[in-house]
This record gives sequence, structure tokens and C-alpha cells, in this order.
Amino acid sequence: MTPSVRLGRRALLRAAAASATALAAGCSGGTRSVQVAVVWSTSELDRFRDVVAHYPGDVQVVSAGNDIDAFLRARHLAGTSPDVAILPRPGLVTEYAQRGWLSPVRPSSEYAVPDGLGELLTAEGRRYGVWVKAAHKSLVWHLPSMLSEQPANWDELVALTRRLGAAARRDGGPAPLAVGAADGWVLTDWFENVLADVAPEGYNILARPKADWRAQPVRDALGRLAELWSVDGAFLGGGRRALLTQYEESVIQVVHTRRAVMLFGADFTADVVGPFQRGPEAPTTFPFPGARPGGGPLIVGGDAAVAFTGARGGVELVEWLTRADSFRPWLRAGGYLSPNTNVPISSYTDQVGQQLAREMQAPGTLRFDLSDQLPGAFTGSDGVGIWRIMQGFFADVTDGVGAGEAIRRATGELASAARSAGGGR
Amino acid sequence: MSQVRVLGELAVLDDVGPPRRGRAYPAAGATSALLLPAAVLLGGLVLWPVLRTIHASVTTDGRWVGAEHFQTALAAPGTGAVVGRTFLWALLVPAVVTALGYLLAAASRRSQEGGLVRLILLVPVALPLVVTGVTFRLMYDPDPTRGLATLLAARLTGRPYDDAPQLLGPGLVTVALMSAFVWAWVGLAVLVFRSALDAVPSSLADAVRAYGGGRRHVLWDAQWRPLLLRTTAVVFALVAVGTSRTFDLILVMTPGSVRDEASVLALRIWQTSGGTTTGDGAALGVVWLVAVVGGIMVAALFVRQAWPPPPAEKAPEPSPVAPPRRVFRLLAAGAAVAWLVPLGVLVATSAHGRVDAAARGWWSAPPNAESYRTVVTGTELWHTLGFTLLLATAVTATVLVVALLAAYPLAWLTGPAAQATGLVLLAASVVPIQVIAGPVNEVLGLVLSSGTAQGLALVHIALGVPFAVLVLRNAFADLPVEQVRDARLGGRRWWHTLRRLARHNLSAVVAVSVLEFVQVWNDLVVGRLFSGPGASPLGPFLAEQTRSFVSNSGALAASSVLASVLPVVLIVLSRRHLVAGLVSGGVR
Repeated sequence: MTPSVRLGRRALLRAAAASATALAAGCSGGTRSVQVAVVWSTSELDRFRDVVAHYPGDVQVVSAGNDIDAFLRARHLAGTSPDVAILPRPGLVTEYAQRGWLSPVRPSSEYAVPDGLGELLTAEGRRYGVWVKAAHKSLVWHLPSMLSEQPANWDELVALTRRLGAAARRDGGPAPLAVGAADGWVLTDWFENVLADVAPEGYNILARPKADWRAQPVRDALGRLAELWSVDGAFLGGGRRALLTQYEESVIQVVHTRRAVMLFGADFTADVVGPFQRGPEAPTTFPFPGARPGGGPLIVGGDAAVAFTGARGGVELVEWLTRADSFRPWLRAGGYLSPNTNVPISSYTDQVGQQLAREMQAPGTLRFDLSDQLPGAFTGSDGVGIWRIMQGFFADVTDGVGAGEAIRRATGELASAARSAGGGR
Repeated sequence: MSQVRVLGELAVLDDVGPPRRGRAYPAAGATSALLLPAAVLLGGLVLWPVLRTIHASVTTDGRWVGAEHFQTALAAPGTGAVVGRTFLWALLVPAVVTALGYLLAAASRRSQEGGLVRLILLVPVALPLVVTGVTFRLMYDPDPTRGLATLLAARLTGRPYDDAPQLLGPGLVTVALMSAFVWAWVGLAVLVFRSALDAVPSSLADAVRAYGGGRRHVLWDAQWRPLLLRTTAVVFALVAVGTSRTFDLILVMTPGSVRDEASVLALRIWQTSGGTTTGDGAALGVVWLVAVVGGIMVAALFVRQAWPPPPAEKAPEPSPVAPPRRVFRLLAAGAAVAWLVPLGVLVATSAHGRVDAAARGWWSAPPNAESYRTVVTGTELWHTLGFTLLLATAVTATVLVVALLAAYPLAWLTGPAAQATGLVLLAASVVPIQVIAGPVNEVLGLVLSSGTAQGLALVHIALGVPFAVLVLRNAFADLPVEQVRDARLGGRRWWHTLRRLARHNLSAVVAVSVLEFVQVWNDLVVGRLFSGPGASPLGPFLAEQTRSFVSNSGALAASSVLASVLPVVLIVLSRRHLVAGLVSGGVR
């Protein structure tokens, strides 16, 4: 196409756009502020706005919601990328970096994250992102009055589930477990915890390209899940009902209607508990039980900040976000866990927060959420990728399909999904 | 006037014949100028993206790969089921809607309560499909202590609550979605059939009776053959094309674990390609595009009639025929009650606070205004409503201006040229936006930035123009020649004529405006694909909240009720004007 033709088409389209432009609402402000696109919405968005209100410059926060990837792609195509984005998965950071969309960032001197987290945000030896928020994903929640003794290891959890399940079926007592299996990420979090416990080495290998999803660690982890999930009466209303239960409803089943005793969930469960708590009794947590007492897995998730190429003030804002006191408003409000080990434990206002921060900062076997590191569609969303496969596995084992057969199906699907996403062999 | 009535059959509209010649032609230069805005919009934001999508479906990075993407896309696991389900939707649902629509239209004619019945059936037509999805998800909640339908199903089948039939479960989810869709669309079919029945001259029935024909003969010779056959085809095609809207319902109603069991092509394309259009996604898109455009073309050619069929010109004389039999009247009344139930569930849920709505169900707790207080005192809903109002108004005004300008010269075309224009406009008005999202974004990137209010408005305008031009063109072409002459003599320039013509076509103008406004107001897909920060319309705003459905159902129901007031009022108030426009296919 010749340049003149192109120009002609542009001019025509511009002319057509002019009428719409004149009529439609333009929301652009006058002075140039740093624009940040974030995944958060509702209360988390408000908290983040409180945080950047203390930034010396003007910051415009825009919520792109869960489709932030599609949003950023469209903005990139249109040449209107924001200055900074906060991304929900490290896989996106490296992907954007390899495409040349991002500029390298340098954190402040007060920034330090647990081993293994920092390198997830590097590409070709350069750092393209920093962690700004962490999620502790190895907790089991319950009301103190509903459970007298917390299971110390996996076998105790299975025995407890059997006992409570039998009681629930006999006299209609509360079910042992609530699970929001309609949300695929709940099940992948289960899988990751068990996997990190039974095969710590295998866990990291699976995050790499050319991983073998039919290997023994995967089968061991699925076998262990099948052992618990197939317990008769384990889940409130049974497996079919659990697959229609969203995560937030499962929280309500434990803290409000009290029809289930335990809930596996991340630290942000506390946000949901708030409005549904009955009376003064607040839920408490115990660590996800591992094979040995006191030796359970620790899975964390997190959100990372990146600066786009050619952004004005982006790198500076990212640097500011890594300072130890930047997130103080959110810390004070609660529901925020910092990935930065230089944030003092004392800045957490509640005991649970302090406990979680202490675990995060302890040197040890912390692992980053595996599904968030998987390539392409394999990473999962509603009806897609590893989310869908884990839901299929859950449906199988709660519906009486033998563990061996269910594992064979699931590993087959995992391997083929990994292959078509370009990650497996 | 070229319309000739042959046994009550209305002659082909576009066969306008000699009287049309020598009318107020705008000069050739003016014609091009009038057509330019519509042509640029359609060319840039519909035609070019369609071509780009077709190109993307047979290339990889610009390299020709033939049918490779089609093979990959169709061989992917589950694609067969998805395609099958899409066709099931496009055949079964229109059949049910058409049959119910005819039955209820016939049953609600000429009876005292008929008007009320039709009014009740019309309300769901006006609701955003997102709100319909919210309503039915509330009804079908898998917990019998909250979901009315689940409770009734458990009682009916005598099952314990823990083992209640799951209407949103993998086995029944498509049935559940279809029921919501039928609920939303039957009112439209009733409206169209009613106008068709009224257009059938009652003298024809008398003639059939005079020759000794019974009830069945009257139905066949005086109703079906002259008019209802075509109307049925139009309604069927309209609903079949409308089933591409199931996307909204699936996103809102299905929990993630059953999304695969509910998936149709629209959703599969969304999942494969998101906001971009490449390879496999483009190939699936082309398959879908061919099916939709092919289907509507076949329907149009089958009907062999310009679009839309002519509206009844004068009010039908009061009919001496008795009201329908009692059993039919009861059927109509029963349908009205059944159609009210979902609305009642939505309103009842909105009248409960967050905890009550989530944990107890609306019938076991006294109502209060907590949810309304929450959404009304917050700023988010108001901001969204304000933005959507502005967007819908701006889009409607622009579409009306562009379409009036373009319809004026097109109305004087005759013969094959008119037919061809009609088919092109028809095809353009049914192109599913998901298919061309990627290229549209590219174009928006050239002229504006995507993800802005202006970009969003532009896409809405481009999608709304073909249908608006179609309706207005037909309305202009259908004007009695005296009115045109008067307009011409009274007006000194062609634009004076245009203004007078527009005034004479008030019904068509009102229909186009209301439909476009409601279309934009109720939209989810365009908003999801093209909105950005600061430009967040109502549909995506509501749909986003369904991610935590149960814990948020009170506020979501309250927002849904507030969001539905305006479209319902508009549609109900303008329903008489709408018939003409609706018959012509109010879907994109």
C-alpha cells in the first residue's frame, strides 16, 4: 500500500470519527499524570488509590479488571499503553518483556523479596518487574468453635475428614470441607500445595518449558488429592454441588451458615469474611498440612508492577512502590500482605497478618503459584486450561471414578494442554 | 403508490415502478456526499475488518497456509460439540419462540386482558440480557434455600435438598440458558405476530367461511398462506440470528466449571482469541460469519420480500369475530403469570441486604432497602449510568443523522440495485462483533485510540448504521407519492425535502432511535471488547460483579433493577412505533 493511499484512508476515518469524538464523553484530564492500569477492582482498587495518593506526583489509577492482558494488548495495538501496569501473573511480565514492550526497572534499596521470587520477573538477565503484593495460599480456615483440634499433618486431615464426613451423613452435621470448585484456581491451589509437599523438586521443574506432565510427581500429587476428595461426604452437598459453588460462597458456608467446618483458602479470604461473620467469633487458620507435622508447603501468589517502554514517570513510580513504607495505608486497612521482607512485622495491625508475614519472611521452602507460571492458555481461566482439567479431575474422583483412572485422564489432558500451549513435551 | 393488494398479499415493496421516477432526486454530487459517512463507517469498521478476518484465517504472519487454521480449529477437542450446540440454539430456540409467539399473539387478541398480557411479555424484551442472566441465575441457584426453581424441582421430584436437580449443572445448563433466552424473546415474537394478524383483512376470513371453510381452513387460507408464512420466516430468522447473543447469557449465568458444557461458537472464539483475531480464532470466526450471513440471506430470499414487510397502513376495523376460546385466554393469562415470576424473583432479591440474599433466600427474610442504599449511596453505579446514558444518546443521535442522510438517496433506487443494497445492509447488520474485534481495534488505533469513550462510540455507531439505514430507506421508499410531492413543493432544497420526509416517517425514526438507544444501553459484548478505563458502560459493569455472584447478589439485583428502568420505559412507551422497525430485524 502506498503512503498516500494510507494517508487518504486515515483522513477519511478521522473525518468519520470527528462527529463521534465531538459527541462522546472525553475523560482525559488536562495535565499529564502517570497512568497505572491495575487488575484490582472494588475495595482493593480503593486501597491502592489510597496508597498512590501519597506519591509526590499525580497518579491516575485505572482498573482493567481480570482481562488486563486483553486490555493491554489492545492498548498496545493502539499505541496508548499506560505508563505502569500491575500484572497478576509473572508469565505476563516475561512475555511482554520478550516482545520489547517493557523498560527495565530498578527497585529501591529497601526492596527485598524471598528467594526464588525475584528471578520470575527477569528476562535475559534484566529485571522487568517488581513484586508489590503477595498472597499466602497455604492456609486452612475454620471457626474455633467448630473444630477442637487442628490436624497437624496430611494423614490427620484425611482421618478428620473421614470422621466428620461420616457424622455428617449419619446425623446431618456440618460437612468437613467447603470448596469453591466453580472457580478453577481454587483447585489448582489445592494441587500446588500437595505437589510442593510430595515433590518439592518436581514442582519447579513443571514450571519450566518441556515439562513432563505425566511424570511421577504429578501422579503422586493427584493421588493424594484423590485420597481426600473421594472421602464419602467430604464436601458440602457433594462434588456436583461443590462444582457450582463459587469461592466466596464457600467462605459463607464456613463462617456464616456454618454448614461446613474447614475451608482451604488464601489470606485474602479475610476480606470476604468481614460482612458475613456472625457474632464476635472470627475464623482462625492453620497451615496446609504436609506429610510431616510442621513441615507443610508454602505457596505464594503475587502481583507485579512493570513500566512500559517510553513511559513518562513509569520507572520512578515503580521504584517508589518498592519502598518499605509506600503501602502503609493498605497495611493499616488490612487485607494486604507485602512481598517485601524489609517491611517490619510490626506494621501489620492484626495477628493473622503478622503470622503470615513472619512465614513469608522465614527463609525456607516458599514456592510461587505454579499455574500462574504456565504458558498461554494452559495457565487457566473459566472453562480453559489447567482450571478446567482440575475441575474434571475433581468431578471424577467425587463421582466414584477410581483414582487410577481419574489420574490417567487428568495427566493425559495436562500433557496435551501443556503441549498445545507450547510448554510441555 | 405501487402497492397492489392481491388477496391480502402485500406486493414486493421495492418493486416501486414508474410512479417513483422523477421524484426528489438529490443531485449526483449530493448523493455521494450523503452516502459518504455511512459508507466510510461501514467500510472502515465492518467491511475492512471482515476482509482482514478472512485474510487472517488463511494466513500465518502474512504467509498463505490454506485451510490449516480451519483444520486445527475444527479438530480441537470439543469443537464438534460446540458447533453442534450453536446449531441447536439456532434451530430449536427460534422454533420454540416462534410457536409460543404465535400462540400467545392469537390467544391475547381481542380480549380484555390481552393488552396487559402483551405488556407483561414485552418487559423482558427490553431488559439487558445481562440482567436476564442475573435473574435466571438467581432462580436456578443450586441451593434450594435460595433458588426458587431448584426448590420446586426438588419438591416435584421428591428428592432431598442435598440431592436437588441442578439446573445449572453440566447436564441441564444449556436448557437453563435456553429457557432464559426464550423468556426474553417471546414478547418480541408476540408483537410481530400481533401486527401480522391485524394486517390480515378479516374479509378474507369471511370469504373462506362463505365457501364453507371451518376454523382450520380460515387459519390456513386466510391467515397462514397470505401473511403468516412470511412472518413466521421473519421471526424465525430474527431469533436465529439473535441466538448469537447467547454469549452474554453464558458469561453471566454459567459457573466456570460448566462453561465448557454450555459453550457455543461465540464463546469459543472469545476464549481462543480474546480481543485479537488470529489463526484458529479467525477460522472459527469465518465459519460463524458464513453461517450467520448465509442464514439471514436464505431467510431473506425465501421471504422474497423487501425488508421489512410493510406495516399495516390503517388501523384494522373492529372485528366482528369473537374473542379466542376460554382455554386460549387461560393460556395467555398463565403465560403472563409465568413471565412475571422471574421479574418477581429479581425484585425480591434486590429488596434484601447482602447477608440475607446470600445466606437465606428472599422468601425467608423480611425485605429491606439495604442493597438499594448500598448501590445508591456509592458513586460507581451513578458514574456508570451517567456514562452509559451519554454514550447511548450520542450514538443514537449520530446513527440517526448518518442513517437519515444515507437512506434518502438509497430510497429512490429501484429494481435489482435496491434489492442488492438491502441484502448488503442486512448482511452488515448481522456481522457478529466478536469475529472482527481484532481488525476493528487496529482501525480504531489508526483513527483514535481504542479503549476510549470515542472508540467505543464509534464501534457502536458503525454497528448500528446498517440496520438504521435499512429501516429508514424502506420507510422513505414506502411513502405515498403525494406526500413526496408536497414535501418537494414545500421545500426549496433537497434537505428541506429530507426534513419533511423524516417528519412524515416519525414512526420509523422513533423506532430506529429507541432500538439503537436500548441496544447501546443493554450492550455487553461491544463494551467488553472496546471499553477502557473511564469508559466503562453498564453491561460490563454488571457482568464483572457476577464473578462473586452469591456473596453479592443483593446489590447486583438492585443494580440490575435500576439499570433496567430506562430501557423498559422506553420500549413500553414506544411499542406501537416499534412494530414497523422490529419486524425488519432488530438485531446485529
